[in-house]
Amino acid sequence: MADGCARSRLAERNRAFHERGTDAKAFEYIGDMDYEYNADIGLAYASPVRGVWNIVHIGTLVPGGHQIYVCPTSCLRGVVLTTAEMGRMDKLSTITVGEDNIIEGNMEEQLLHGTERIIRELPERPRMIMIFTSCVHHFLAVNYKRVYRILQKEFPDIDFVDCYMDPIMRRTAPVVPSLWRQMHRVLRPGQEKSSKQVNYIGNCFHYSSKYCDLTALLEENGIRVLEANHVRDYDEFLNMGKSSVNFYFHKTGERAVKDLQIRLEQPYFWLRPGYSYEEYEEDLSKAAEILGISAPTSDFFEREREKTEMEIERTKSALGDVPIAVDYTAVDQPLELSLFLLQHGFHVESCYQDVFTEGEEIFQKLQREKPDLKIYGVYGWNIRGIERTHEGKIVAIGQKAAYFNGTPYFVNIVENAGSYGTDGMYGYRGLRRLMVLLREAAEEPKPMKQLVQFKGWGCDLR
Amino acid sequence: MNDYQTHVFTSTYTADVSGVCSAMYELGGMTVLHDPSGCNSTYSTHDEPRWFDGKSLMFVSGLDEMTAVLGDDQVLIRDIADAAEDFHPRFITLCGGSIPHVIAFDYKGCARLIEDGCGVPVLPVKTDGMKSYVSGVGRALTEFIRKFADPKEQEEGKKSLSVNLLGVTPLDFSINGNAEALRESFEEAGIRVNCCAAMGETFEGLSHIYRGSVNVVVSSAGRRPARYMERTAGIPRVEGLPVGAFAEETLIREVRSAYLDRKNRMIWDESDSSDEKTDFSVEDLEGGFSGENALTIPEGQILILGEEVYAKSLAMAVNHLPESLREGKKAYAFFPDIDEGIPEAVLIPQVRSCSVLISDPLYRVVMKPGQNTRFAAMPHEAYSGRIYRDSMRKFVGKSFDVEEFLRSAE
Repeated sequence: MADGCARSRLAERNRAFHERGTDAKAFEYIGDMDYEYNADIGLAYASPVRGVWNIVHIGTLVPGGHQIYVCPTSCLRGVVLTTAEMGRMDKLSTITVGEDNIIEGNMEEQLLHGTERIIRELPERPRMIMIFTSCVHHFLAVNYKRVYRILQKEFPDIDFVDCYMDPIMRRTAPVVPSLWRQMHRVLRPGQEKSSKQVNYIGNCFHYSSKYCDLTALLEENGIRVLEANHVRDYDEFLNMGKSSVNFYFHKTGERAVKDLQIRLEQPYFWLRPGYSYEEYEEDLSKAAEILGISAPTSDFFEREREKTEMEIERTKSALGDVPIAVDYTAVDQPLELSLFLLQHGFHVESCYQDVFTEGEEIFQKLQREKPDLKIYGVYGWNIRGIERTHEGKIVAIGQKAAYFNGTPYFVNIVENAGSYGTDGMYGYRGLRRLMVLLREAAEEPKPMKQLVQFKGWGCDLR
Repeated sequence: MNDYQTHVFTSTYTADVSGVCSAMYELGGMTVLHDPSGCNSTYSTHDEPRWFDGKSLMFVSGLDEMTAVLGDDQVLIRDIADAAEDFHPRFITLCGGSIPHVIAFDYKGCARLIEDGCGVPVLPVKTDGMKSYVSGVGRALTEFIRKFADPKEQEEGKKSLSVNLLGVTPLDFSINGNAEALRESFEEAGIRVNCCAAMGETFEGLSHIYRGSVNVVVSSAGRRPARYMERTAGIPRVEGLPVGAFAEETLIREVRSAYLDRKNRMIWDESDSSDEKTDFSVEDLEGGFSGENALTIPEGQILILGEEVYAKSLAMAVNHLPESLREGKKAYAFFPDIDEGIPEAVLIPQVRSCSVLISDPLYRVVMKPGQNTRFAAMPHEAYSGRIYRDSMRKFVGKSFDVEEFLRSAE
């Protein structure tokens, strides 16, 4: 029923967008927009900005894991070259779907036979194999579950996981949240939980105590954090099943934590990735309560606020009135960051995002306080027509904002992190780090063309 | 069962949809790829070196499950009309991936409806995302010629020698000067280049392609439009690539002859005798369904792996070198199949038994550790994408020294 309602709302929204389709231009002022905005309508454009991780990068995180993609050549090309660019073709194999498979209806046999051959010929036996089927498998009603059952019997020492690269389902089952859920499916239920161990789920980057308030709190209390991007080997990855709580920072991890709650009875908690001091403090206190440890004191929070405000002030002095553009590939809540910066006296000019991920109250506040904030959809066709320049200096937070403004002054991060010196950012520490990065970005130009085309920025598996 | 599909550790050639986009890139049109998503970013990331700075129009339709299940083509028709209204493209090319193929999407019918709706000419290019770029480039160029070029112009074309270069895209020639060198090869010999399909070319230039008197198929992607033009206007074709001075000389000579006798030619010798044969398709080595007639490439020789016309031309050029320079060895061309690519089962024995391998660097993974084979890299954008773009060779024209290249193998 819920799905039916969602589809009906989607259809209604799509109709509305089509009705105004020809009038839509590359950007709209937020004052003129509806909260239901979604740029995924009409023809879509792919910019050359490639820092955001795709499912291959994420799947490659599992140590001892191997990925098999089963799809037509046109889809395979992207995943194969993603892996080849990382120099990790040892982590991926492919089974092409050919015309004859479609005509003869032998997709199951092909999948079984191909997987058997791959296992036989790989120099090292993988501990886990993620098999990605694609859009065409849905349409041909392929019974891949049966194949996995056979494989599991045949190779009991390997964990087989059904994964999906099916962008045709992106509106109802997007591929990234689905992969985070599926790759944690191998964690075994029924294990005793350790109160001294928790998981972070859905992070491409390691969230160390350097820039993450929660990790700092956990470390102080002797609690160990496990996350897919930071485990030594497959056994340690499986050990995540013994953790007492799953924390997640990005919404893309939500399907995984919900699944783990059902299967492993691990409770979960979302650390809101926004820019509200009250939320940081509430969430940290709540996390402490869940774990049965002492929450930070109000004095501690007061000092953190002061330190953060000082860092913001320094950054404001450094930037002056230089305009700022923010994009969704850098931070989870670009509108909220824009509002926060505006309230601290920064000059935020534009935001690049395809859908509003923040609560409606943030959107409404911005409509009141900055109705001329420009919102650019980066998925729609119109953005291809813009002049990728900016009159005068502009500092971008994120690669897409940098590309579309043609600026070398940008904060080069994806998903609230950036590796190469910047672990995941969350809370006061994260916000202070972001201010430092913003100051550096305004001072030092970067080779934008080279950096933004790098696929899977910070994926250190090379 | 036949298992060309399974690739344990090798890459894949880019697909027909990328071929379409690449061929149409510079012609002032708008290309729409009917597909859910992904093909467009693959093309723009790995296959299109002109994408970052350019403003060419290439979009994906973003097909979703409901639209596909309901067969609602109006969504696509309306979306294309919206974009066309904003960008005013000279023409629109419509191609697609595997889902439109399995739901029997009607390319021609939709093209007609879009054309009627927005008044912009539409080229329906029926791709399926399962064939290689060779098919896509060939089909797109053929559709363009069918729609915009006039075979009657051949009457004028016949009057003097000029050539059309067919099958020129960055997928085979990158953007490092190979396309320009192709033109130079003919112009320096006093032969006018009427059209280069389709790099450094305009809409107008390509639409007057019938003014050329000989078609030069410089990559296998050019074969389809060449055959179409032979059928519609009797234009002869010469297959070959000027890889080095000898191949260039031979090609120019064959072009002049083809102009005079209007007969098709190729610059290499085609032999059916298994003793003399120096070029092998996947089918040759597989030997048909039963495998009974499978041929083999002799062991310990020079293996040139890559696009068909390039591989055959280079093999010819290498074999023309004095035997002492090639240590008594012979060069053999081995090229991928449009449907199957290069199956690993066929590829592995060839790579592991040759003494010199000339191929894209990604094929090195097939060599056994410690294998005593020398390797000369010839990066190929259609195979390894942008990975080796900075070290792409300029292999076209007399300035390419085949002897030195062979010596560089290590």
